Amino acid sequence: MNELELARVAETALERSRARLDDLNVYPVPDGDTGTNMLLTVRAVREALEAGETDVAHAALLGARGNSGVILSQIIRGAVEGFEEDRSVATALRRGSDAAWAAVREPAEGTILTAIRELADEAESRRDDELPELLHALVARGDEAVAQTQEQLDVLRKAGVVDAGAAGLVEILRGISAHVSGEPLPEAVEGVALTTDAIHQEASRYRYCTGFVVEGENLDRDALERELEPLGDSLLVVGDATALKAHVHTDDPGSALRAGTAIGVLERVEIANMHLQSAQREERLTHSGADDRRTAVVAVVTGEGNRRLFESMGATGIVDGGETMNPSTEDVLLAIEDTKAPEAIVLANNDNVVLAARQAARLANVPVQVVPSSSLQAGLGAMLAYDPLADSEANARAMEDAGSAIAAGGVTVASRAVSMDGLRVERGAYLGLVGDEPVAGGTSFDTVAASVVDRLLAEPRDVLTLITGADEPELGPLLARVAEQHPDVELEVHPGGQPHYPLLVSAE
Amino acid sequence: MELSAENTAIVLDSTADFPDASERFSNWRVVPLYVRFGADSYRDYVEIGPAEFYERLRTAEDLPTTSQPTPRDFQAAYDELAGYERIFALSVSARLSGTYESARQAASETGDRVRVIDTETASAAIAMLALAVQRRLERGTTDEEIDELVERFKRESGLVFTLDTLEFLARGGRIGRAAGWAGQLLHIKPILTLEDGEVLPLKRVRGNRKPIQEFAEAFRARTGDEPGLRVGIAHAEAEERMAALEKLVRDLRPNAEIEVATTLGPVVGTHAGPGTVGLFWFQD
Repeated sequence: MNELELARVAETALERSRARLDDLNVYPVPDGDTGTNMLLTVRAVREALEAGETDVAHAALLGARGNSGVILSQIIRGAVEGFEEDRSVATALRRGSDAAWAAVREPAEGTILTAIRELADEAESRRDDELPELLHALVARGDEAVAQTQEQLDVLRKAGVVDAGAAGLVEILRGISAHVSGEPLPEAVEGVALTTDAIHQEASRYRYCTGFVVEGENLDRDALERELEPLGDSLLVVGDATALKAHVHTDDPGSALRAGTAIGVLERVEIANMHLQSAQREERLTHSGADDRRTAVVAVVTGEGNRRLFESMGATGIVDGGETMNPSTEDVLLAIEDTKAPEAIVLANNDNVVLAARQAARLANVPVQVVPSSSLQAGLGAMLAYDPLADSEANARAMEDAGSAIAAGGVTVASRAVSMDGLRVERGAYLGLVGDEPVAGGTSFDTVAASVVDRLLAEPRDVLTLITGADEPELGPLLARVAEQHPDVELEVHPGGQPHYPLLVSAE
Repeated sequence: MELSAENTAIVLDSTADFPDASERFSNWRVVPLYVRFGADSYRDYVEIGPAEFYERLRTAEDLPTTSQPTPRDFQAAYDELAGYERIFALSVSARLSGTYESARQAASETGDRVRVIDTETASAAIAMLALAVQRRLERGTTDEEIDELVERFKRESGLVFTLDTLEFLARGGRIGRAAGWAGQLLHIKPILTLEDGEVLPLKRVRGNRKPIQEFAEAFRARTGDEPGLRVGIAHAEAEERMAALEKLVRDLRPNAEIEVATTLGPVVGTHAGPGTVGLFWFQD
């Protein structure tokens, strides 16, 4: 079995289990997307190998998305090196385990790290086994390790799930094992199509990002997909017989729209010139006298309004992504290179982006510091302290301080029913968070948002910033209430356009 | 030559925001710049005062522009001071205005009688330097001592200011190295200073109380509570902030003397905008 075959098998295995892995997320918000991240990481490896790349470790590194993807890329790197050493599975797994543990700043038991270490242990105790038997044994040991993660991590026990990263690793192994012994894979959980956000991550050589919804009767998803396929890449068609949402990167948006009008009524047409967007950014840069700047800022941001907020504060590299769609190491790396600055800061703006950002920082040709801001709001706070003329280390210190002075919260929609710390929230209800902690839940946006705001203003604050999401809430009652109860607090409202969070809040 | 208040005069331009200069000192004159609303041109402080200016700014369709005095305007002031053997003309930063060039051009026709000094600063800071010169004139001084004073003033005097918006500075082309901060969507309060005669960004903060806290920090770090610490405060339609700054100075440095407290005039106000407040200090 060669590397490409291995990558294809791993990709298939992850495709089958992606939805289940995503559902293992501990928090009731669409967070992490472990399955998606691991799948996209493996897919990037497969695509690179098909395109003639021979360095698997490098392909994995550049394609890594999210924390789980980055750790997986390290496992792959270690495994490749180990296998070259003595052609044994045991050494490959041991090196993979060592590389993964080394990559994480604060390694925790009960995660993919535990799983890969136990797999290495198992393989070392079975150096004389034939490959099919060895793989069977590894899958069994892996399943045990995954089951135990629930006992090892408090958050997992509370939420009643196992660790998604560990589970994903074992799914890859299960796929390989089945392939080697010629057995069918166990029945897979039904897959879910990738979201538009996910597709947007992929770089495109085409000019126009084109999206539309077509409404009609007896719509044929596959037929529309076949029509759009030749026009470009990043193709996505989802929906049902009455409404389809299509998205394609193409040089010929007219033909894409015609394919839609041929079968129904078009709605929500969006055509963005992707090349123009970056050209405009560059133009702004040259006009702001940024030539003598020492350090540029690359920020990982989701939502068009939020992108503008960060750009207006001086960020010149924006990587689309965040909680629901973690950018790859390569995305971040390209953005760093695009700034053409002597040094750079990367604002992660989400815990799940930090590892990929650090990996990109190591790969970059210039000094790069990662500011591990854990929210978009903290990232905006950090931008206050950005000084283009200072070096990246001084900026990192000042920005981290400024970011941590921000109290952040938000209102999201629970993606499944959840019970945490005595708080019961039904699927689809509003969920209020302060930091990462759920503090309120219910069907009234006003009530949930008000308790988030009250918590954030419990200690004296000067400014309250409200950032509305793609699903824009009616803020009237909330604003009136804040003005009445906190008359000294300055209020600012900005359209952010982020998905999944009707409202982000910060107090400073 | 021994310089005294009897044989030496001081010429300021109106950006020193010290309009009653010639009433307070018979050897002082102020040369006004011009502020223009549409086709109407006014001499700063003479034909339009701060109150009328800010009132008009609120309703004006097009924002005002400013222009430097002509060499002839300076010539007239030098002529008026015919009884003085020596004149120090203290001009607003040459990097912010062409006023310095006009003053110099007029001076070049007077031999070495007029010495034009680029103060590399603006507003109350110019007035404070002029007051320091006057103190020396009143006890008798020399060209050398004045030169040393000017050099020390440029090195040691402090200045922080904040604006409600960077729009005015940007529109008038005086934004300097704070250009990267223009066009922000969040309501940011920039903390700025003048360095080498141009605007230099120091810090961005949010909220109305933060700028005063930042001022306090800078003031405390760079001064000591000693007699001779002189303070200036200038504001544009920001009485409350000016009061807060006065309190700040009295609390932090009870020995300091607030020697200038003024509004920003029409010309400086055109480039800074309403809501601006600045704190100046100099140990002398």
